[in-house]
Amino acid sequence: MAEAAIHRRITPPGFGEQVADALLSGRGIWPAVPAIVVLTVVAVIPFAILLSLGFSDFEMSRGAIISQTFSFSHLTNALTDPLYWITFQRSMNLALSTTALCLLFGYPVAYLFLTGGPWTKRLILVLTIAPLLTSGIVRTYAWLVILGGRGVLNSALLQAGLIDQALRIMNTHWAVLIGMVQIHLPVMILPLIAVMSRHDSRLVEASENLGASRIGTLRTVILPLSVPGIGTGSALVFTLTYTTFVVPQILGGGNYLNAATMIYEQVVFSLEWSKGSVSSLILMVTCLMVLVAIALLTNHFTKWTKGHDA
Amino acid sequence: MMHGPAGPSNTVETTAPVLGIGAVGKRFGATRVLQDFTLDVAEGEIVTLLGPSGCGKTTLLRCVAGFWEADGGTIEIDGQDIVDVPVNRRPVGVVFQSYALFPHLTVARNVGYALRMRNKPRAEVAQRVASVLETVSLTGFENRYPSQLSGGQQQRVAIARVLVMEPRVLLLDEPFNALDAKLRGAMQVELRQLIKRLGLTSIFVTHDQEEALTMSDRIAVMSGGKIEQVASPDEIFDRPATAYVADFIGVSNFLETEVETGHVRLPDGQTVMTDLTGGVKVMTRPHNLRLGPPEAGPWKGTVSFHRNVGPLIEYHVEASDGNVIRVSAMRQERDCPVKDRSQVSLSVIDPASCSVYPG
Ligand SMILES: Nc1ncnc2c1ncn2[C@@H]1O[C@H](COP(=O)(O)OP(=O)(O)OP(=O)(O)O)[C@@H](O)[C@H]1O
Ligand SMILES: [Mg+2]
Repeated sequence: MAEAAIHRRITPPGFGEQVADALLSGRGIWPAVPAIVVLTVVAVIPFAILLSLGFSDFEMSRGAIISQTFSFSHLTNALTDPLYWITFQRSMNLALSTTALCLLFGYPVAYLFLTGGPWTKRLILVLTIAPLLTSGIVRTYAWLVILGGRGVLNSALLQAGLIDQALRIMNTHWAVLIGMVQIHLPVMILPLIAVMSRHDSRLVEASENLGASRIGTLRTVILPLSVPGIGTGSALVFTLTYTTFVVPQILGGGNYLNAATMIYEQVVFSLEWSKGSVSSLILMVTCLMVLVAIALLTNHFTKWTKGHDA
Repeated sequence: MMHGPAGPSNTVETTAPVLGIGAVGKRFGATRVLQDFTLDVAEGEIVTLLGPSGCGKTTLLRCVAGFWEADGGTIEIDGQDIVDVPVNRRPVGVVFQSYALFPHLTVARNVGYALRMRNKPRAEVAQRVASVLETVSLTGFENRYPSQLSGGQQQRVAIARVLVMEPRVLLLDEPFNALDAKLRGAMQVELRQLIKRLGLTSIFVTHDQEEALTMSDRIAVMSGGKIEQVASPDEIFDRPATAYVADFIGVSNFLETEVETGHVRLPDGQTVMTDLTGGVKVMTRPHNLRLGPPEAGPWKGTVSFHRNVGPLIEYHVEASDGNVIRVSAMRQERDCPVKDRSQVSLSVIDPASCSVYPG
């Protein structure tokens, strides 16, 4: 009798429950299926088209492709054209220096967040997140107002008698750099804060108790433990700035050619789709190379985390 | 106070406390967490702070270590006030409850941390780390990361990391909390022997009375940010100064009664001398009580529960006035085999061991 009752209770779960269980078990690829579908539609297919455009010569007639032959010519043309080299170098320089400056300015803010009281923390969070709530374009135009020939900065400097002639900042490399750093700073600060506040605050106290100065603690405890945050922040800022379009376009005054603006011109103005797709490929491959380098560096400095599985 | 080389003329100085805490107060907003806290710890002595959760034990340690600033009072080490000395210059070592080991450093580098921060030469660091690791029996674990160690091993690393800097005062905040009961017992004995061998002056924090009885030379029982009694474990257990201490340490039976000219009468007819007057509470330990057949005495009751606690049997006896009295007896000497619900009489073995407190 009792056995029968027990048997009845351990009947297998219903089909719906089984599906839900399988989805949430974390095993297999099921939870990723929606993302895979979306990515295939919006990324993989366009990418395939991009590849086929970049590696083929084709003849068009009335907006339709009539013949298509495989060819490396667009790639070899691009790699031998000094304009490409200069442009990609400019993009790379801009992205690397923006990343470095964001880290330089962002790290102290994250450190302040870590060591500060509750009000400091709140203030930093508000100041970091608030800019993200306004569009990048709006913020970029704000810099126009500040840095322009008759902008806030020049008026102030002139008034103070520090300069006798308006500085030309707009439409220069400097304007682009300033705008880029300001716009991407939160993207650096947030991962830093997230990683730093994950660690036990007792570690800092232990370090001081063991005789470390503030600098010693920063160098030997806080910095090594924040490496994953530095890695994530740098990867994000680099990717965003290396492929950026809006800021160079507005603050560079239309004559600041970087990779993204070049692709835009090739595709939209000169309708050279093959050139555009080759440029995009180069942009993507070089970006990935830097990301891999960042990942390797991050890994190298966080070897200790591998101990968890060993 | 000067510290010359040890010699016959220094006898007074060597008996002076290593750590002197005088009238320290600490408040958070309106709540006073420490009030007028005074405690001296002598050379090589282990004093345990024992008290319920939230009574201010950790707060006191944090003030001594310098993580928090006390609101008033003095904290002296070897007669020198350290209140204005920054954390990293105090000769104080802290073993944290969570260990706070550096996860990104190997055992050897965790242990050598204090020496590296003092810019000691490499060779000296290596040699001292090796010797400390041997002291805590962790030789061979040098290159592991903390996440690759068991709780007990992490605990040893935390202790080794502090020992290596040869602190004048060692502070331990519930260092065994994360360990299971058996390991905890073993570590208590081991740590006490180690501290004694090294002659370290220590404050040990716990809210586990057994741990306090094992570890301490003296126990300071705290309540609400103040010390109720500081004394040796035996004295705390046998002659608790207040009803609070008696209640906190060990099991105690309280009997409410009235003083009759210089003595109180126990329910079994015996008397206990006292200077108090009026309503009082008499405290007696379970092992100072004896069960007998119901006709043996005037203090009668019914056994409501009993259990074996290792070599002891613990009885709960419901007395005729409704009080539940706890009695313990060795398991072998069952001169009176007692079952639940049976009628018994109670008697005090040694009335002089009872304590009397104001009611
Ligand atoms: N940063 C703080 N701000 C406000 N109140 C605090 C703070 N830290 C501790 N307290 C209060 O101080 C009192 C004492 O805390 P403390 O940590 O010293 O207790 P404890 O004796 O160590 O307790 P436990 O045994 O639980 O560790 C508690 O009531 C606590 O709420
Ligand atoms: Mg505590």
